[in-house]
Formats: sequence, C-alpha cells, structure tokens
Amino acid sequence: MSLFLQRTFDSLANGSAYAALAVAISMVFRSTGILNLAQGQLAMFSTYIALVLATGPSPYMKFSSNTDLIGAAWPVWAAILGAVAISMVIGAFTERVIIRPISADPVAAVGATLGVYLLLGAFVRKQWGGRTMFLGSPFPQTVEDRWDIGGARLWHDSVGITLTMIAVLGLLAVLQRRTKAGLAFRAVTSNRTGSLLVGIRVSRVLMLGWALAAGIGALAGGLIAGEINVRPDMMGRLLVFGLAAATLGGLRSPVLAFVGGYLFAFLETMLGGYVSFVDSQVTLVWALLVLIIVLFVRPSGLMPRTEAWQQR
Amino acid sequence: MTAQGSQTSSVKRAAWIIVSTAFIAVCLRVAFFATPKIVTDLSNVVALSLAFAGLVVLTHYLGLLSLGQGAFVGVGAYAALHVVNDFGAPVLWMPLAGLLAGTLVGAVVAIPSLRLPKAYLALLTLSLAVAYPIILRQVDGNLPVTLNGGFVAPSWTGIAENDEHIWEFFLVAAYASVTLFFVQGLLRGPIGRAFIASRDQPEAARAFGIPVYRLRLYGVALSGGMAGLAGGLLMIPTNFNDYTHFPEELSIKMFALAMAFGGSRLISAIPGAIILIFLPVWLIDRNWVVEYGWVGLVKSEGFIYAALLLATAYLTKGKGFMHLFERRQPKSKMQPSNRQVTSVVRGLSDLDEQLVQLEGLVGDRPDIRSRQETKD
Repeated sequence: MSLFLQRTFDSLANGSAYAALAVAISMVFRSTGILNLAQGQLAMFSTYIALVLATGPSPYMKFSSNTDLIGAAWPVWAAILGAVAISMVIGAFTERVIIRPISADPVAAVGATLGVYLLLGAFVRKQWGGRTMFLGSPFPQTVEDRWDIGGARLWHDSVGITLTMIAVLGLLAVLQRRTKAGLAFRAVTSNRTGSLLVGIRVSRVLMLGWALAAGIGALAGGLIAGEINVRPDMMGRLLVFGLAAATLGGLRSPVLAFVGGYLFAFLETMLGGYVSFVDSQVTLVWALLVLIIVLFVRPSGLMPRTEAWQQR
Repeated sequence: MTAQGSQTSSVKRAAWIIVSTAFIAVCLRVAFFATPKIVTDLSNVVALSLAFAGLVVLTHYLGLLSLGQGAFVGVGAYAALHVVNDFGAPVLWMPLAGLLAGTLVGAVVAIPSLRLPKAYLALLTLSLAVAYPIILRQVDGNLPVTLNGGFVAPSWTGIAENDEHIWEFFLVAAYASVTLFFVQGLLRGPIGRAFIASRDQPEAARAFGIPVYRLRLYGVALSGGMAGLAGGLLMIPTNFNDYTHFPEELSIKMFALAMAFGGSRLISAIPGAIILIFLPVWLIDRNWVVEYGWVGLVKSEGFIYAALLLATAYLTKGKGFMHLFERRQPKSKMQPSNRQVTSVVRGLSDLDEQLVQLEGLVGDRPDIRSRQETKD
C-alpha cells in the first residue's frame, strides 16, 4: 500500500506539467480551432529565459555581449514569474504577427506553428547548445523537505508544484467565469461571428487567449525544470502527454484536459512501477496506446458525445 | 479534339519523351561515374521521394496533416530488415514488407483519428513520431541491426561485384518509378478526383455518394504504405537501422518540405527529398554547423526549415510553391476533363438559374412574424 501511495505521490509533479500543457493546448484550439504544436517549444524557450534570469549573465550566452540588462541573478520564483511575463508577450506576438494573417487556413496555420517550433528549437540550440542545464526549484528540494505519510514520502517540491498549478488554473477558471474579459473569451469560443456583432473585439480576445496559454506553458516548464533539467528536447515527451490529455477533453474542455493530465501521469507512474517490461521511457508508448484506444472507444474523449460530434 | 489541341498534345508528348530520356541518361551517367557516396545519397533521395509523394497525397489531395511520415518510413525500414533477418525472406522482396507494414500502421492510426476533426490525425501522427525511436530502442536495443544479406548484381548487367552501389541505385529507382507511375495514375483517375472533392467540399461529396471517411482512410493507408516502402528501399543502400535514424525532427522536416514543394504532381516530391538529404551535407561542407550567434542561427538547418514553413504559410496559404505555377495555366486546362461531370455541372447551374427566375416571379414570401401581425 505504501508503494502504491509513493507512486501516486511521484506522479503529482509530472501530472501538473501535463495538465498545464493540456489546458494551454485546449484553450488555443477551443478559441481558434488551431492545434498549437509550438506550445511545448514555447514552454521550453521560457524555461531558458527563466534560467538566464536565475543565473545571471552566463558564459554560454552567444547572441549578445551586452548581458548587463539581466543584472544579478534573480531568485528562482522571480525568474519563473519573469519568464511567464515574457512568454505571455511572445504568445500574444505570435498570435498577432504569425497566426492571425493566415488563421483562415488551418493547414497554413498549423504549418506556421511548426515553423515557430523549429525556429525556437534552432535558436536555443545555437544559443546554449544541446547541453543539459539545471534550474533549481522555487520550493525546498533537499532530502529533508518531505512529509512521511503511510510509509510514503511526499516531497514539498511536488506539493508546491501541484498546488501552484491548481491555484493558477483555478484563477484562470475564475477569470473566465467572473470577469468581463472571461465572458468575452467564452463568447468568442462559443460563437465568433455573434461576438463580433455584439461589439466584442475578437482579435484582442484571441491574443489574450494565446498570451494566457503561453504563460501557463511557461509556468509548467519553469516549475518542472527542477525535476527534469533544462534541455532543448525537454518538452517533447511532455508535449505528447499534454496532447494525449487534451484529447481526453475532446481538445476543447480545459477542465477535462486538466484531469487528463493527472490521469496520464498516474498511469505512467503505475505502469512504469508495476509492469516489469515497462521502463520509464516506454511509458510514452503506453500513453500513445491509451490515446488510440480512447479514440477508438470514445472518439469524443470524456466530453458528452453530442457536443463533440457537433464540432466536426 | 481540334487539330490545334492534337498538335499541342503531340508536342507535349515529344517534350516529355526528350526530358525523360535525358533524365535516364543523366541517371546512368551519375550511377556509373559518380563516387559511391554520391550514388548512395542519390539512392536515398529516390527512396525518400516516395515518402514525400505519400505526404503530397495527404496534404495536397486530401487536405490532411501527417506529422509522423518519418515514423512510417522507420516502420517500413524495421519491417524490411526483420523480414530478411528473422524470416529469411529474399532481399529483393524486402521493400514489400515495408509497404505492408506502413499500410497497416497507417490504417491503424487513421481509423480512430479520422472520425474526429482533422487536427486529431496531426496529433496522433506527431505522437507516433515522438514514440517511434523510443519503441525501436526498446525493441532492437542501442546497437544498430545489420541486414543479413547483400545485393549482388546479376552478370548480365555488367556491374562489377565491388560496384554494388550501382545495382542498389537501379533497384531503388525501379521500385520507386513503378510506384510513382502507379500512384500518379490512380490520382489522375476518379479516385484522385474523389480525393479532391472530399478535401474541398466534403458535404457535397457525401451527397454525391462518395464515402469520404473510407476514402480518407485509404488515403492515409496509401500514404503510410508509400512511406513504408520508402523505408524498405532505404535499407537497400544503407543495410542497417537503429533508433537514431528516424527522429521526430525528420517527420517535421518532411512535412515542411512537402508543404513547400508539394503540388498536384507527385514529381514535385523530388525537390523535397533532394533538400532533405543534401542540405545537411552542404551545411557541414561549409562548416556552418559550428557557427553560433545570429549568423549561426540563420545558417542552421532548423532556421532554414522554419523560414521555409513560414514562407509557405504566408505566400501560398499552405498550398505550396508548385501551386503558384499551376495557377498560371490557362483556364481551359483547369476544367474537369470528364465530359459527364462537365455536363452535370452545366445542368446544375442551369437549374440554379431557373430557380432564381422562379423566385423572382413568385416574389418575397412574408415571414411568420409579419403574418401574425396581419392577424392581430
């Protein structure tokens, strides 16, 4: 029982990252109908920004000799918040400059998101190379920082990440339900033409959606970096799990995508822990299989069937 | 057909014969006189052009997005290698195992994802592209698996035993030519027109009795099969496979190139294959891969592919640069060649005009609210 509990605890941090990415993907798809495949790379790029802010001027920085702008090293939490702010600007810029002019053509728009994916990957590789770097956690991370519950260890770090993500996504839900901006966002996702007719500035709302999605991705990247380290390919695996989790929500329900994130992390940990021939790498394959089975059995994900089929 | 039309057609045919003959002559010259390294690279180009052609079928004929074409190629390579090593199949038949495996995996991926919006196919194929190297590493291990067998040219070819790369090139070219010829014929016929109908007007296509879902399923399976065959063919000159051969970046690069250079003709797949194979070689030759900073970024492979994707998205609305040339053709050539279809289209437009005239005669009918107001 204690082993089961331990594995459940272990899945919390990863689950938060998957859930955050899934919510970000769902938000963009729901509002624009575009699958943002650059979501993972945007999060990876933001993590490097957080790394620069947290470590100060680094000898590895190759693009600019003027690193005085960064100043001294920031605390990790401040660096992550700074990276979230910068990412939101990048997200809004991406929507305004790259996506909006071609948003009428979904193939071109998905191609453009892949262009952003490659561009960010190339930039990071040329700036920092392919080496693994370390960004600490904003939460206590020593061996002593844990609670022992039922023979299992619950790390402060994991709890901190999970609670932060739940709080942020809760705030997002409040923003959507209780504010005018949220109401406008819901109106745009529900009926774009109707929103235009009642005077909502749809383009601005969409830009806000992209900015929020980029911010959530950046937060996920910054928080999980303390667990998985910073590499140019750090988000590939997370993106697949995030996409799978978003599928559980029919790509349109942030709440179900959020639940899906934790569900996939739980499955990943349990399969890796209890099935002898499944190591940590192969769990990705199982996620893929689960995804295919879900699409076979219930194509709409966990969403009500009628709602999903109306979206075709 | 008019005399002028017949003359144009024969001129065109003659031009095609001359171009094809010149192309074959160039191939023969390259195969026999170029260095083995270049011939092997060309064999890879010819093999990969099939995978690109499969992507062209998906993106330009069906309007679907596959981000896992590299993984389908990998599946084909795996099947081809293991059918020889584990089951003792003759090496000449090995690409067919790749074809079968690619078709099967394509169908398995397509069946669930095509029932939902198109984004799901992109999502599932991208996941496959990421998962493939991990699966292969688990199945085959870290070390490369080498082909148990070789390709010895028959004596009648006059190719020396040491020049097996020439024979391998001709094998790959023969497989690829037959497949491209067959698939191009398929696309020119009713199936190709049904593909385009299901892409542009799926509801209208359904109304005309075209099974859109089944057609898309066949399209994805065909594309997967072509990629699998390409994987099998790649094993002819390469002779070994490991988990690093088909990373997810390969699938994304292939998608970028297919989007940029794809068109209604499968021949447009060749530039993509040439760039995919020779661009890294070119960058390494110029020592550009070790440059950093802004200049290094602009000279990097990732930046080049990103620029290509963004340029394709903006300048051609995702239809590819070949599409710009196709649009400049005279209007008469863009009309459907099938006379029956033309007559049906004309009949429908006449019917539409008559309906408009009838509506004009009847006048505007009052809506329910105005009727109620009259009653009140």
